[in-house]
Amino acid sequence: MKKRVAIIGIGITPFKARYLDRTYFELAYDATKLALGDANKNGAEITHKDLQSTVYGIYNELFERQFMPDIYINSYIGMNDKPGTRIAAGGATGGYTVRMAYAEVASGLSDLCLCLGVEKCNDCYDEQTGVTTPEVLNAIAYSADMTYEYPMGMMAASSYVSMVNAHFEEFGNPTEEQMALVSVKNHGNAMKNPKAQSPMDITVEDVMNSRIICYPFKLLDCCLYSEASAALILASEEKVKELKVENPIWITGVGAANTDCFIGNREDMGRLYSNIYAAKVAYKMAGLDYQNIKAQIDLAELHDAFSGQEVISYEELGFVPFGEGGKWIESGGPLMNGELPCCPSGGLIGCGHAVGATGIMSTGEAALQLRGEAGKHQVNINKGRAISHSIGGPGAAYAAVIVMENEEVQK
Amino acid sequence: MEFEAHEIRDKIQINYKYSMGGQSKFFIELMKNKKILGTKCKKCGKVWMPPRVNCSDCYEDTDWLELKQTGTIQVSTIVWYTTSAFIQAIPYGIAFIRLDGAETAFNQGIFSENLVPSKVKKGQRVRAVFQKERQGKMTDFFFVPEEEYERWIIKPEYEGGE
Repeated sequence: MKKRVAIIGIGITPFKARYLDRTYFELAYDATKLALGDANKNGAEITHKDLQSTVYGIYNELFERQFMPDIYINSYIGMNDKPGTRIAAGGATGGYTVRMAYAEVASGLSDLCLCLGVEKCNDCYDEQTGVTTPEVLNAIAYSADMTYEYPMGMMAASSYVSMVNAHFEEFGNPTEEQMALVSVKNHGNAMKNPKAQSPMDITVEDVMNSRIICYPFKLLDCCLYSEASAALILASEEKVKELKVENPIWITGVGAANTDCFIGNREDMGRLYSNIYAAKVAYKMAGLDYQNIKAQIDLAELHDAFSGQEVISYEELGFVPFGEGGKWIESGGPLMNGELPCCPSGGLIGCGHAVGATGIMSTGEAALQLRGEAGKHQVNINKGRAISHSIGGPGAAYAAVIVMENEEVQK
Repeated sequence: MEFEAHEIRDKIQINYKYSMGGQSKFFIELMKNKKILGTKCKKCGKVWMPPRVNCSDCYEDTDWLELKQTGTIQVSTIVWYTTSAFIQAIPYGIAFIRLDGAETAFNQGIFSENLVPSKVKKGQRVRAVFQKERQGKMTDFFFVPEEEYERWIIKPEYEGGE
């Protein structure tokens, strides 16, 4: 029988452009230690020796300059002679890692599992321009189909913008100004998050005037790549009781889907179908209603790699009908004091995108919100329920949605 | 004590002689005869482009089928900042193009004498232009707006298709 699974420890390092003083395995250690400390603060009294397994979220070997980077982390964090499994699912790596760590505990394979994401991209370096970003983008672009897409200059932004442009052609939404509102919101929310890489007090005009990256995405519509790690400690219900943990956050729904990575094969090119399938599966498992989800949760930590994609996610995750995501942000719906705060942490645009760590950070952030421990960017918790969302890969092919509840709802 | 970072220069490089497997015919016909081949499922009749020798919907084999070299832009973008491999080429256009008679769209470069969003937008009719020196790769051809076609194929490095 499936076991109930709770998040009992949360550890997130600051998201930074570069850690010159940490390697990827040292960063992984930092988040693990933070998560253990957090679990112990809540009464667990455990060390890394009590953790029975690890699920690693690491997107890109080329960032880490190391194939099978997980085994080097496994050694460094003192998890030898226990099972460790690596997940890689593009930008959705974090969400997929939470899903597999959930499965590890729900299945009974482990009662205490470490869910650990890390990425260190900015060791990549482009000698011709003397900066990191073009080489980081190249390391990512190798995820495009190497025969049919990479040789045409396909990269992350051009892949996502294609879907956003197709969505605009179909619905007249999101407009450039509506996308800019997402950037203003998420950079602004990050001002209250001390772990965020890109806190900024900006206007729609600032976004509109920032330089063009990939028509119509501008610099401030795009997240920055980050270095960071994030860890969650997941426990079975028996373990939660045995350890007498206070404040467990229960994972009540997990959904994921891989849609066709070739955008041109899709029925409608302006859809991130993976979003729709992942959300419906997760909500159903949690006993929630896709049509009425907005009224059932307190906040959503969304995957806003690009501003326009967050607007489409409002629609595909069921917050508003198709074509109305742009109007919803214009009306203030996803703002901190709005109908359903989206990305109170600042999301990827505000915090940065440390790919393998990102979805674990956003899940951890949502869990901290449900505990009432998010800090200055805490939102009101009335329903005791939140979601985190991860999406990524070529054509945003992978998506994962996690539903969480605090102890009060569970009672 | 103040931290002092130590950085090293390094690179990872692998060479390939990659087999195109069941798709080989597509690349050979492109290289030798400037043909664009799709495939058609023997069972459901779906036309795949890029070609697949198996239908992923039916689990049946497909037949080769020559496609038209004209089509329509479904969606496009113009890239102004990009990867280290392409940064010297900016700005460049990328479009998903549905060839006449095909059901799926595929990613290809879109060139224009005047590369602006209005020139490469949805619904724009396009036609394939081929490199004179072809290697049996997707970069052997690209698309241009139909009205510019005659001017592109007279350039010394390019030629028209069938």
